[in-house]
Order: sequence, then C-alpha cells, then structure tokens
Amino acid sequence: MKPLLLLAALLSLGPSAAAQEPPPPSEARLKALEERLLKLEAPAKTSLSAFNPAMGIALDTAYGHTNGASNFNFRAAELNLSAPVDPFLKAWAIIVGSEGGVAVEEAALQTTALPHNLTVTGGRMFASFGRLAHFHTHELPVIDRPNSLDTYIGGETQADGLEVSYLFPTPFYLTATAGAYNKIGGENARVANDTARPMDNFTYLGRLAAYTDLGGDHSVELGISEAWTPKRFVTETAAPNVRTRRNTWRSLAGADLIYRWQPAEGGLYKGLVWATEVMQNNERRFDAANLPTDRVRAYAGFSYVQFKLGRKWRPGVMVDLTEDLDAAKTLTRTFTGFVTYDVTEFQRLRLTFARTTDNLPTGLGRNTVGVQWTGVLGRHVHGFRDR
Amino acid sequence: MRNLLLAACLLAAAPEAQAAKLRVVATIPELVDITARVGGERVSVDGLARGKEDIHQVVMKPSFVTKLNRADAVVYLGLTVEHVFLPGLLDVARNPKIRPDPDGFDCAGPGCIDCSEGVSLLDKPATLSRAQGDIHPQGNPHYNLNPENGRIIARNIAAGLARLDPEHAADYERNLKSYLAELDAKLAEWRTLAAPLKGVKAVSYHKDVPYLGAFTGIVFVDTIELKPGIAPTPTHLAQLVKKMKEQGVALIVREQQYDAKTPAWLAERTGAKVAVIGTMANSLPGTGTFIKLSEANIRNILKALGKDK
Repeated sequence: MKPLLLLAALLSLGPSAAAQEPPPPSEARLKALEERLLKLEAPAKTSLSAFNPAMGIALDTAYGHTNGASNFNFRAAELNLSAPVDPFLKAWAIIVGSEGGVAVEEAALQTTALPHNLTVTGGRMFASFGRLAHFHTHELPVIDRPNSLDTYIGGETQADGLEVSYLFPTPFYLTATAGAYNKIGGENARVANDTARPMDNFTYLGRLAAYTDLGGDHSVELGISEAWTPKRFVTETAAPNVRTRRNTWRSLAGADLIYRWQPAEGGLYKGLVWATEVMQNNERRFDAANLPTDRVRAYAGFSYVQFKLGRKWRPGVMVDLTEDLDAAKTLTRTFTGFVTYDVTEFQRLRLTFARTTDNLPTGLGRNTVGVQWTGVLGRHVHGFRDR
Repeated sequence: MRNLLLAACLLAAAPEAQAAKLRVVATIPELVDITARVGGERVSVDGLARGKEDIHQVVMKPSFVTKLNRADAVVYLGLTVEHVFLPGLLDVARNPKIRPDPDGFDCAGPGCIDCSEGVSLLDKPATLSRAQGDIHPQGNPHYNLNPENGRIIARNIAAGLARLDPEHAADYERNLKSYLAELDAKLAEWRTLAAPLKGVKAVSYHKDVPYLGAFTGIVFVDTIELKPGIAPTPTHLAQLVKKMKEQGVALIVREQQYDAKTPAWLAERTGAKVAVIGTMANSLPGTGTFIKLSEANIRNILKALGKDK
C-alpha cells in the first residue's frame, strides 16, 4: 500500500514540477536544433586526410611563332601545396614540371605568430625584389617574362635563404624587408646553390614598399629594392688556380611604381593598371674566358599598361628597354601588345605580339606571335603578394 | 591655471577612452552598419568593401592590411563569399587575433565574428566540382539579401562583441534589442509590402537571390549567367529566352554591379520587367544601412512590376 501511495504522490508531483519550469523559448530550441543539424552535416574532420595540405595545379601551355619558326611549348605544370605546420608556422611547396624536367620552384617555411609585426620566411622562395620578378610565369601579364628581368635577375627571383619582413604600425601601408640568400635568380648561373661560401659571397636584400589610396578608386604603390653581393670568386677558365676576387661586388638596385584605377562601381567591367620597374646593375664583368673586364653600370626596365574592357577582356601594351650588362651602350628594345581573355576565373587565353630590336649595326629584328592557354585545377589561392 | 590642468587631464584621458573601444573591421557596409548599431559607443568600426563592388571581386588593397593589423575583431558574412579578399588579407595582416582559416576559408581566431552562424543555408551543393561554376562548398553565401537574416547577423555580432568584451555585454544586449525592435517592425511592414510578389517568376543575373526569394515568395527559375560566376554565352541566352517565355517569367532582377545591356536585351525579347537591386549596402543611392537596402530592394522590384501602388 505504501509504495502505491508513494507512486501516486510522485505522479501528482511530476506534472506540477514540470509546470514550474518554463519551457525553453521556441527560438532557442530551434537554434539548438539547427546547431545539432550543422554538426551532423559538417564534413568529417576526423579522417586521416583532414590534415593534408591544400593542393592546386596550374597548367600553362603556349604556341609561339618567331621569324618563320613555330612550336607548341608545354611551359609548366605547377603543383602548389600549402598548409599550416603548427600554430607558429606555415609552409608551401611549388613543384614545377616542364620540358626542362621537374624542379622545386619554391619550398618555404614562414612564421605566423611572431610579435611586433615581424614575419620570417626561410627555404627556397621568390625573394622580394621588385614586383613582377617574384610572379610565377603563368601569372605575368604577358606570355614571356620581360627581357630586363631575365637579363638582370635571371628569371624569377628564386632564392635559397632567409627573409625577414616588417609591417610598420603607420596609418598607411609601409613594409620593410631584409634578406640573405645564396643568390637571387632561378636562372642566375653566376653562383651555384650547392657550393658553400663565405658570408661576403651571399646576396643581401633590402626593400621598402609603401602604398596609398588616392580617393576610393585610385591607388599608388611604390617600392625600392637593393640586392647587394659584396664579393664573388671568379676562376679563369684557362687557369684553374687564378681567381679574381677583388672589386667583384655587385649592386642591383630597383624601383617599382604601380598605379591602379579600380572603380568600385562597374569594376567588373573596367579598370586600369600601369606599372613601371627600373633597375640599375653595377658590377665588374668577365669575358668568355672569365678574365676580368671593366666595371659596368647598366640600366633596364619595363613599363606596361593593362586595361580592363568588359568582364573578360584585358588588353595592354608593354615596352621593355634593356642595356647589355657587358656593354651598356647596346640596347635591346621589346614592344609587346597583348590581350588576355579570362574565359572564367580558372581559365585564361592570351594572345601577344612582340617585336624585339637592338641598336647594333647587325640589327636584331625579331617578331614573335604567341598564344597562351592557362588553367587552374583544385585550390586557387588569391594571394596578396601576386595581386 | 585650473582650466589648463583640466584640459591636460582631458587630453591625457582621451587616448585611454579611445583605446578602450573595440576596434572592429567589417567586410561589407551593412555589417559596418549593424556592428555600429549593436556596438554603439563601445566600438569603432571600419569597413573594407564600399558596396558598389561585386563581392566576389573586391580588390585586396594594402590599406586594408593596416586596418586589419590593428583590429580586435573582423566581422564577415562568411561561407567563403569574401574568398577573393579576406583570406589573402588576413594572411598578411600579422594579427594573431584574426588569422586565415587553415582550410583556406574565411577566418580563424578569437577576433573572428562569422555572421553566418545559425543561418538556414540554401543551395548547399551535393557534390563539388568547378564544372558547376564558382560554387561555395557550404552553400549559397548571399544570405544577407533575406531581410529576416538581419536578426541572425545582429545576434552573431552581439554575441561576438560580448565574447571579446564581456564587461560590456549588457550594453551590446541592450543595443541589440533596440536594433531588433526596429528591424522587427520593418520586417512586418515588408512582409505586407512584398505580398504581391508571391509566386512571381523571375530570373536574376547571378545566383545570389535565393534568400530574397525565400522572403518575398518570388520564384527564381534561372540565371543570366551560365553558372555561378560564369558569364552568359549566346546559346545560354537563347535558351533562357525560350524558357522565360514558356514559364511566363515576368521579372528580371539585375544586381547593380552587372551590366544593364544583357537584361535589357532579355526584357526586349520576353516582355519581362527589369528591377535593379543591391547586393550590399551602399550599392544603390540611399541604401547605406541593412534596413535601407532591404527596403529598397523590395520597393525596386515592386516598382518594376508596377505593383508599388
């Protein structure tokens, strides 16, 4: 009898106890349900592949016709891998396969948590000299890298070394970069990457870059760079024991200026970029037998303007003037007209016509027509540096 | 002398008062607006996009880097709608409070305020392939075009600010209530206003209107773009004309950032009316706030259809 009474008492208490607790508002219940649903729908993060790096591949192919000879040119398949290493570091590797073979174009570690607006990058990277010099080839506004960059830097600013950059706490954008590398230039054959050297044989970089908005739609960006190599060993070809070391310092100075008109209204269909870069190379040169000649100060640079006409079309022109590093009076001029057609964000076609001449009596005259087709698979990163 | 001392004290105190404010950067103008309303005098808000851009094409300006470098928080729509500028900027902003998400999307860190949390997502893709165009893995990210979602956005911002500045959580809650009261009154008004739009068949330029359709009852049957982010082709436009005629499409919604020529061409061939809407605050004249944008969009559609009487 007693248990029955107890049960009856409990039953009579139950509903009243529940009635004392106000039911949760329907909105809160709905939110809780939605949160549970989101968790259920979330992708499985527990699989072993969850920590794999992000991956993308850029395919770049071209057709070129120069003075009566043509060829299809598989330029590159560029595999891009990137991921955070830990809370303090991220890393990326760019592996390029081309007709020349497979090469590691970049493989770098970069800090993400240093105080005082500092960032350190180490490994193989594109050194921060100038602007277009550290763009990957398929990201350039023209098919072929400007002659001035190829001649003075040696392709992209690929460099094995260490770079520190600092963002100034100023109201406007101002950064400083300092670096030390074996050498700068992926195709720079002056020094081998795998040879140990004294500290004064490294190349040291300093760069300052500033930016300002000119109203809402216009902006200007200005940078100055200096790549300094204090010393260099050059061994005479005919006499392996005779080396020149004295007065072999090299200075490569550069300035870059970019003006952009990127209107907020109608910006999908119109815009303009005008960019100019100039370089001065100052070094003692060596002849074919590696015998020292005079110190030569030579200048080179390019300027281009690119319009955005419509959602897909970006025509432009580029002028490149390059003094010979050995004989500054010899000047090579390249005039390029180009039109880029952005089929989509991930596919691009480009047509260029380039005329190259020089001021030698023999007179170089080269006309090149090029067609480029580029596509991106997988992850596509909008990087600040390559904007 | 006393006045001078007082002035000196005030000057000394001024930077402290300034420093006490939360420095917030919001990616688009309506988020600037709602953050300012919810944050009140406790926050200073700066914006990135100005409103007239296509949100998928906002330019990464170095001046944005300096703003993000000093920010305590960044308020964003999320769902990768800001993918062309936000991750790239966060990557170089050197601000441990707001880091790029390791997955490459949006933001990760204590200062990240994602306004999409709790939004009922539409158009969530069953499979992911670039053959489907520029789709977003988590679903359609243009939820700010449903006026109802203003409530979720405001709540997320209030929760984010309270998390970062718990001392003033009550202030944010009070401001939130005040904002929601204003928004709720408007929502009731807009529901009545939009009633004639229920069942109207329409096409839009970009697939950014499903959330607007959910609020108004407009049935969006196709887009002028071939696929999200893929410009229209002649074949697609010819097929679209046929489809619009067959289905009796009465409305073409042109987002202001897209060209007027193609919608006008379609209108000429189908008899449908063109309405211009904004996808961000400030995109149209007099749409500086979320509330003004939401109202302008509904009124512009009603006007185009001649139902604004």
